[in-house]
Amino acid sequence: MRMPTDTGRDCARAWEAMPWVLQDSAPQEQTEWLMSHLAECEGCHAEFEQQKRLRLAMSLPADVSIDPELGLRRLLARIDAPEVETAPARVAGGSWLTRALVAAVLIQAIGLGALGARFWAEGTPPPAYRTLSQQAPSVPAGAIHVVPDAAMKLADWSALLRTMQLQVIGGPNDVGAYTVMPSGGAATSPAVVQRLRVAHGVRLAEPVNANP
Amino acid sequence: MNDADTDADTTDRLLLQRMAAGDRTALTVLYRSYHGRLCRFLSRLTRRADIIEEVINDCLWITWQKAGSFHGDSRVSTWIMGIAYRCGLKALRQHGSEPVDEDSVPEDRIPSHDPDEDRELRDWLGKGMDRLTVDQRVVIELVYGVGHSLDDVAVIMQCPVGTVKARLFHARVKLRNVLPGLAGATSVTKENAP
Repeated sequence: MRMPTDTGRDCARAWEAMPWVLQDSAPQEQTEWLMSHLAECEGCHAEFEQQKRLRLAMSLPADVSIDPELGLRRLLARIDAPEVETAPARVAGGSWLTRALVAAVLIQAIGLGALGARFWAEGTPPPAYRTLSQQAPSVPAGAIHVVPDAAMKLADWSALLRTMQLQVIGGPNDVGAYTVMPSGGAATSPAVVQRLRVAHGVRLAEPVNANP
Repeated sequence: MNDADTDADTTDRLLLQRMAAGDRTALTVLYRSYHGRLCRFLSRLTRRADIIEEVINDCLWITWQKAGSFHGDSRVSTWIMGIAYRCGLKALRQHGSEPVDEDSVPEDRIPSHDPDEDRELRDWLGKGMDRLTVDQRVVIELVYGVGHSLDDVAVIMQCPVGTVKARLFHARVKLRNVLPGLAGATSVTKENAP
């Protein structure tokens, strides 16, 4: 793009001043200077004439015909009924949504309340599992895990317990192990364990608290 | 700002104060006062009369609602033209910009009293404006059509004065390069017309 004029600084200055002189907003001395320059510079004179024609064309009324009175009536009607035009639609939509959300929260609250009341009334059943962080079920000190042979008769098992003065306090578990304790709360001696291990029909005898 | 501008701004401020108090008569006066210039200003953005009417009403609807919050940092006309500019750009985004094409303007939208000389001038201007971007057309309208200063245009378009200067410069250079040829073409066409 080239500069509008290339005949010197005065022409550039004239180019800058033209819109404001045409607007009649330029200082008086600037207007006078431009007029004197135009009298001497044919190029700027032609440019200024075209600028005058541009301003004249720009001052013509719009060629798009719009009835102001009709527009004014529409604007006043819009002001008269702002709630009908915009606000109610938004409020109605918001209200419907709010009501639905409140209903959902209420239903959830009622359900949770009923569930809590049921657990409170029935007592919480112990879970059918035990996590590693939970403490193992307590077994009295001195108890012995005993696994009798599957072929051992009940009479032989009972006789062995009597002979050893032991009583069953738990079992059999999934692998057929019983938990036994000396009768009368007596302490378990290593000799009792040893005797169990060598007794006929006993596959395993191990103190409960013994370290593996 | 000359005396006439000062008087007009004083009147506009009084109208705004009355509008802020809910005076619809003041709104009616302001509406009729601004309708013509807003219509011409917006016709530089789009040729669609329905969009122009919609934007004028949006603009004066906002003016009515915000009349009480006008702080007087600028002239009232600058403030209102800024609202119209933003509403116009929003409408263009929603409806798509229309090319400035005189052939698409129905004959009944051109004032019937338009003398031949005005019609030729309008045609000459339309073809020149067609070469400009939307922002360049807006700057030309605000400076040459409405008579705003660079500072006012910067407020209306919400951009630095330097940007306005650049847009005005490029628009003038484009018009300077095309308008003389268009004037000749128009004259030739007219001379050859039966």
